[in-house]
Amino acid sequence: MIKEVITVILLVVGCFFFLAGTLGLLRFPDLFSRLHALTKADNLGLGFIAAGMAVYIASPWVAVKIFFIWLFTLLASSTSSYLIARFQKEQEQTKNRKE
Amino acid sequence: METYQIYSLTSAVLFVIGIGGVFISRHFIKKIIATIIMGGGVFLSFVSFADRDALAFADPVPHALVITGIVVAVASAAFALALARRIYQLTEEESFTNDK
Amino acid sequence: MSVLIDILLAILVIYLALQSLLAPRLSQSVFLFFAFGLALALAWVRLGAVDVAITEAAIASGFLGVLFLDALRDFSPRSSEEQKNISTVQNSRSRNSVKSLLLPRLSLVLGLGLFLLIALEAVWNIPDGGGLAADAEKLLPQSGVEHPVTAVLINFRAYDTWLEIGVILLGLLAVFAVGKIQIYRKPIPVVDDILLRQVILFFTPVLFLFGAFLLYFGKTGPGGAFQAAVLWGAIGILLHLGGRPIFLLIPRWLGQLLLTLGLLFFLILGFLFIAGGATLFEYPPAYAGVLILIVETLAAISIAAALTAMFANLNQMKKEESNKIDSTN
Repeated sequence: MIKEVITVILLVVGCFFFLAGTLGLLRFPDLFSRLHALTKADNLGLGFIAAGMAVYIASPWVAVKIFFIWLFTLLASSTSSYLIARFQKEQEQTKNRKE
Repeated sequence: METYQIYSLTSAVLFVIGIGGVFISRHFIKKIIATIIMGGGVFLSFVSFADRDALAFADPVPHALVITGIVVAVASAAFALALARRIYQLTEEESFTNDK
Repeated sequence: MSVLIDILLAILVIYLALQSLLAPRLSQSVFLFFAFGLALALAWVRLGAVDVAITEAAIASGFLGVLFLDALRDFSPRSSEEQKNISTVQNSRSRNSVKSLLLPRLSLVLGLGLFLLIALEAVWNIPDGGGLAADAEKLLPQSGVEHPVTAVLINFRAYDTWLEIGVILLGLLAVFAVGKIQIYRKPIPVVDDILLRQVILFFTPVLFLFGAFLLYFGKTGPGGAFQAAVLWGAIGILLHLGGRPIFLLIPRWLGQLLLTLGLLFFLILGFLFIAGGATLFEYPPAYAGVLILIVETLAAISIAAALTAMFANLNQMKKEESNKIDSTN
């Protein structure tokens, strides 16, 4: 019973962070602040959801796997958002140079 | 309403969306996307009937057919994409037009 | 409750498919197509087809999405002003010919509606054939593996899988033929970004290990040659993007060997079975497990090489065009 309650709390918190990140993606004015909202909130939300899943399954081997999934997602998403930001910056620089 | 019925009806809708997209959309890439959506509808109907015929496990033959089908669809889409890009490089046209 | 989830997922899939075709900008439709593939993968998990879900998420959404993204840079070099001009021209043209377009559009909508009704009726009333699950279950102990989908793919219907590897190779040859093969061996500039390089170097062994894991555990659970092949192909694509195109670094004969290895070994194995008195691809039950593992490994290597080569060739097409523009400037 306690296991289910902890799982539900963790999942709800994770969903809240995802919602916040999506709200930031939709409402923020420019690309950099959108990336900021998306990467921070979504990675945290994913962490909470992964923790909820690990608690629900309650097996140490699966928990290690879920932890690694979270870690790799963190690495990939931070690198890709860095690349998107760099691309945007380069484009703005070339635009400024043309003007 | 069973699970497989929902997805088999969805598959029919997806197939029709794909056919409509092939006719209506102009750009090459959108046409390719439409064919992939069409294929997705066919695969979804296969897998939903595999779910209907499940005994101890879902019918594995449609699953295997769908896996091979997805890979073949992607290979043909890559070929179509190469053709589209070549056409664009040579003629600067993004869609089939009769204007010139 | 679970029916509710399925209905929501079905609506999401249909909505994403519609939106990816109706989106005004090409980049939007490509990204919505990514989302469509992932939602479809979720639908397959709901239908109990985890193998198909992995394949869909990896190949149809991941690999094809990468190809589309790569093509986007080709198709959108025009400035926004030019696009506005084009759209105004198109608008005026369509206003002139709105009467001549009315009839075909009406007939298209009517035809599609009729087709939708026929398709829904056909899917709803499909006869109950019983399927082949019982046969597969009965023959599973002889196949050498414990996972039914892998047994069907590599053992029961090995002919399909063999020819499918051939189809991928054929697709690669067609891409080569369209994209001018001689530019393929031109070196591409090394990426100067240290973070990207380090991340690619980190992900290469991880992806290799994960692919090998999927390949080996395809024997007992979801996974297998195709899923592993996409992960290994992702290594090749990542290294290509990081400025280390694999097919330029290895000798030409080795690349050709990697591409044809799976097809060739499958064929030799089939003829050996015939020589031994069995039919084509009739594995002897005693050695079936080992043989299937070897076949899967070689097929995965071949498919991964083919996917990498496809991406590399399509990527080089863009390079050639941008060089041309540079030289004219």
